[in-house]
Amino acid sequence: MKRGDAPGDGPCLLTGATGFLGGHLMAELLARGRRLVIAGRPAGGESLADRIRRLLGWFGMQRREAQLEFLETDFLKPGLGLGSGEYERLRRRGLAIIHCASDTRFAEKNRAAVMAANVTGLAGILELALRSRARCFHLLSSAYAAGIDHSDCREAPVRSLRFNNPYEESKALAEKAVSATCRAHGLPFTIIRPAIVYGDARTGRSLRFNALYHPVRSLLQLRDIYLADIRENGGKRSAASGIRLEDGGGLRLPIRIFIPREGKINLVSVDYFTAAALAILERPEDGAIYHLTSRRPASMTRLAEFAERFLGLSGVEVVIGAAGAARMRNPAEELFDLFIRPYRPYIADCRDFSRENADRATGGAQPPDFDYAIFRRCMEFAVAADWGKKLF
Amino acid sequence: MRRKETPMNDVLRTAKNCRHYAMCKIDFLGSGVCRSGLEKQYVSFYPQGRMDLYAALAEKRIPVTPACVEIADSCDLCGRCDYQCYFVTEMRPTAVMRALKEHIRLHLAGGGEVLAPEKDVILDELRQIVGNDWATNDRAIALTYAHDPCPVAEPRMPGYVVMPGSTAEVAAVVRLLNRHSVPYAVRGNGSSVMGFVMSAGAVIDMGRMKAIAFDEKNWLVWVGAGVAAFDLQREALARGLRVNVAEPAALVCANIMCSGIFSTFSASYGTAADNCIDAEFVAPAGEVFRLGDPAAPNLFGFRREDAPLPGICTSAAIRLHPVTDDESSVFVPFAALDRALAFARELAMRRIGLAVAVLGGEYISTFLSPTRALAAGVKDAFRDKLKIAYLVLVIGDAHALAAVKKMGHPGFDSRLMRILNLGLPSLVSARWLELIGELSDDEPFSYLGLDHFPDLAEAALAPSPAQLVRDVDPELRPFFAALYSRPEMTDPLWLNMFRIVSARMGREKHVVAWIIYLPIDERLVAEIDGEFRRIAERHGLKNDFGFITPLDNGKRCVFEYDYYLDQNDEDEKSRMRQAMGEAGMMIEKFTAATGTVTWIRHVFRQGFSRKESFLYPGAAAGR
Ligand SMILES: Cc1cc2nc3c(=O)[nH]c(=O)nc-3n(C[C@H](O)[C@H](O)[C@H](O)COP(=O)(O)OP(=O)(O)OC[C@H]3O[C@@H](n4cnc5c(N)ncnc54)[C@H](O)[C@@H]3O)c2cc1C
Ligand SMILES: NC(=O)c1ccc[n+]([C@@H]2O[C@H](COP(=O)([O-])OP(=O)(O)OC[C@H]3O[C@@H](n4cnc5c(N)ncnc54)[C@H](OP(=O)(O)O)[C@@H]3O)[C@@H](O)[C@H]2O)c1
Ligand code: SF4
Repeated sequence: MKRGDAPGDGPCLLTGATGFLGGHLMAELLARGRRLVIAGRPAGGESLADRIRRLLGWFGMQRREAQLEFLETDFLKPGLGLGSGEYERLRRRGLAIIHCASDTRFAEKNRAAVMAANVTGLAGILELALRSRARCFHLLSSAYAAGIDHSDCREAPVRSLRFNNPYEESKALAEKAVSATCRAHGLPFTIIRPAIVYGDARTGRSLRFNALYHPVRSLLQLRDIYLADIRENGGKRSAASGIRLEDGGGLRLPIRIFIPREGKINLVSVDYFTAAALAILERPEDGAIYHLTSRRPASMTRLAEFAERFLGLSGVEVVIGAAGAARMRNPAEELFDLFIRPYRPYIADCRDFSRENADRATGGAQPPDFDYAIFRRCMEFAVAADWGKKLF
Repeated sequence: MRRKETPMNDVLRTAKNCRHYAMCKIDFLGSGVCRSGLEKQYVSFYPQGRMDLYAALAEKRIPVTPACVEIADSCDLCGRCDYQCYFVTEMRPTAVMRALKEHIRLHLAGGGEVLAPEKDVILDELRQIVGNDWATNDRAIALTYAHDPCPVAEPRMPGYVVMPGSTAEVAAVVRLLNRHSVPYAVRGNGSSVMGFVMSAGAVIDMGRMKAIAFDEKNWLVWVGAGVAAFDLQREALARGLRVNVAEPAALVCANIMCSGIFSTFSASYGTAADNCIDAEFVAPAGEVFRLGDPAAPNLFGFRREDAPLPGICTSAAIRLHPVTDDESSVFVPFAALDRALAFARELAMRRIGLAVAVLGGEYISTFLSPTRALAAGVKDAFRDKLKIAYLVLVIGDAHALAAVKKMGHPGFDSRLMRILNLGLPSLVSARWLELIGELSDDEPFSYLGLDHFPDLAEAALAPSPAQLVRDVDPELRPFFAALYSRPEMTDPLWLNMFRIVSARMGREKHVVAWIIYLPIDERLVAEIDGEFRRIAERHGLKNDFGFITPLDNGKRCVFEYDYYLDQNDEDEKSRMRQAMGEAGMMIEKFTAATGTVTWIRHVFRQGFSRKESFLYPGAAAGR
């Protein structure tokens, strides 16, 4: 690597630090003594610095604040919305850039915002990288930038032209822009593609409760609706839907989870992600793409069993077929189907991610197999944190 | 500096908070109306009048008069007004009625004076026209006609209150007052609450003229000036017909005269002159004329000014509309006003639906909830959990509602609305709503399209009248539980026809409504909405979007924005007056800049004009 030869020690500019993965990277980089310039935005009346302080508190790292500088930025504005003097000073520092900020919403109706944040906004960061002759540019992408045209996904530029949603498409476009720009200007770069990241496998702690968590939370709330109906209102409405208390006290909640094909759900824990990403950041290979994915992804049937066990349910069944073709048996099944609609492509995934680069960079470290003990730890934490509402 | 509130005991506070919306003068709950009010007819004998009277006596603003004694005596403390008033305002007037009786008892027991009214020749002449019972100068009665909660109207104690019983009597009273140069105000139920119905001379209360005569062959009903909207609608519905009326306690002739009657049904039935086929008037000089007479004064025209009263309407031939047995309702949710407006306009342009309205969160929560506390929770739940900021109400037949569905808008149909309404307390605390809200971020309101969603909502909310009224005053709870078990109480179609919940908008505080006519132009509406909000907020006043109903097939609309006021807080009244001045100027500015905005202020007393003349003010200017 040319300019990126010794990225392990100098300060970095980090975007997306208020998010799940950016936050974890920030914590780990700080733990390793690195100085960071955090580029981000205020929210809900809170300054960027206050938001980050709150996060440091969550990580138990308040003492590390001295290693941080804060820049309130708007990636869509010229000069990232910074004053010309501030931008100039930043430019002169030639920092390595780790770009984690991304609009991670899937829905088609958010296409314009997602494209603006993930593609248009990226251009401003890339411009800073070029103008400051940054030591290296790291893009946090996604394994699902691979799209849906091919099931064998290599650690190589995206070949697909079709995607599950605008989010995936934007990540593919962002990768293209980063590799084209960096190659054209001789700027070292890497692209890191994690699969679906859940909480810390050892502690269950997490900052985000979407993806894996969302279906479990949906089931839990459906369960609670019917338990309340049975316990407080005689359960006539539950009985009409075939929902009842079983002898052992569990709830029989007949819900079919429709998936289009027998596929898997590719999960990696955030502790694995952080360690692997740090290994890459410390010894980056110019132009390399890394799949931080699982070789042994879980099946939906197994996850459904975990959820049943955790929630004291029975009757949850994984069915291969189109949801629309089957008449919904009860309101819970119908609503659950609606809840998981955006996640369906990821819970029956047949894509296979090769990971030679990642193995080389991480010494072959693999994410933990997703077993019930991990599931329970993560979900217990999620419930205690009220799915994010009682995090801080 | 804010003035400190004068300490008031609870009974006096209740008395001084009467809103004057006259809801205790109609039997809107089927629980009966104050018997003495029905017999004596003066507002003074209804709970509303007794509230005013007690406040005045307690504050020693008037002496005890014979009418005071009669008003106090004639109350049998039946408690009906508690049901009615609590339904609207959450107040219980019976405590005031009891205090009034006690006040008079103690006064008399202590040998207090009862001040007989003075002899008066004009009064004698008035009595010769209307009969002894129907004209008075007793100050206790006059007091109950002397003020309303309008923050810009000074109280004016009338010299006489007259209740004529026929057109001939009205004409004779007018001639007599003219002859003696006594100014007068005409009064329906006084619920315009804009200071219009007060006079230092005489107040002519039209309440006795209650004749209703249906002429179904001609699709009209002749309505006397004393007929209230609720009673007329009930009679019409009993014949399988409908009239376009608004506030239930408003007298129909007064309402046409005053604001032309706009309602959610105005989307299809129109407003102003659209509402009636003919009318009878007593002109300011005392002669009688019919609107349909070619020689009659032209009330169809419109002048953009604060117009004088063109005459007293003694009866009107109101248009009847057919009702089909497949009518129902749907509420279509929106997260933003512009999309709700576009949808309402599209419906109106395509002539879909009988009643159409864009409703804000304040109205929905307040109208559906029997208590203020519940309404506050419901408003938050709609906004924060369900991500619903506006609902477009559509009432129509099966074809209209099928068309709404086909247009790709899932909504709350009447079954779901009933479930929601009777399950509101559970809705406020429901955890599962958060998921629904998050989901809405991806596919707005797609859950409403699910076949079984109402079943789920029913299991989750456990709707029941008992649940809905669980924070109602315990003494009134059984009555309210029985009330809400009546299907019409949660049926949006019935509730829109009879409008019995809309006065709840004044439950927390008295409402000052801003009403303007303008094009359904998203930008213009947003600008004006924003201006209303900014002005109110600058003066620290509670305020909110009210509703918008398309008019004339979506070319125009009527827009209500509301400011709220503690009617007994002098400081808030003063801030309201400033805000009203600024809001008035703001409207006039938009009127001048656009040439398409009309303030209802200019329609007052010109409500018999053709709607086209004030909806399209440019027509006159363009010639
Ligand atoms: C909570 C609330 C909501 C409302 N919503 C609506 C609404 O949606 N649509 C709407 O149209 N209005 C609405 N109004 C306004 C109100 O209903 C009308 O102003 C109506 O006229 C009041 O009827 P009233 O009998 O109380 O009239 P009053 O207040 O007694 O009189 C209104 C005016 O008409 C004059 N008048 C009365 N009777 C006659 C007569 N026989 N001949 C000539 N002039 C007469 C009076 O002098 C006065 O100027 C609302 C009012 C309230 C308090
Ligand atoms: N989590 C996963 O399972 C996963 C899997 C694969 C790939 N990834 C990738 O990893 C990266 C981080 O994901 P995450 O899970 O940490 O997401 P996240 O928790 O949603 O955080 C997103 C971050 O991006 C910022 N951001 C979003 N929109 C922005 C905008 N318009 N302008 C500026 N900043 C904006 C957010 O800032 P605010 O806090 O101010 O909104 C936040 O810091 C993303 O690139 C994502 O594509 C994540
Ligand atoms: S507040 Fe309304 S219902 Fe209550 S007494 Fe006054 S007019 Fe009647």
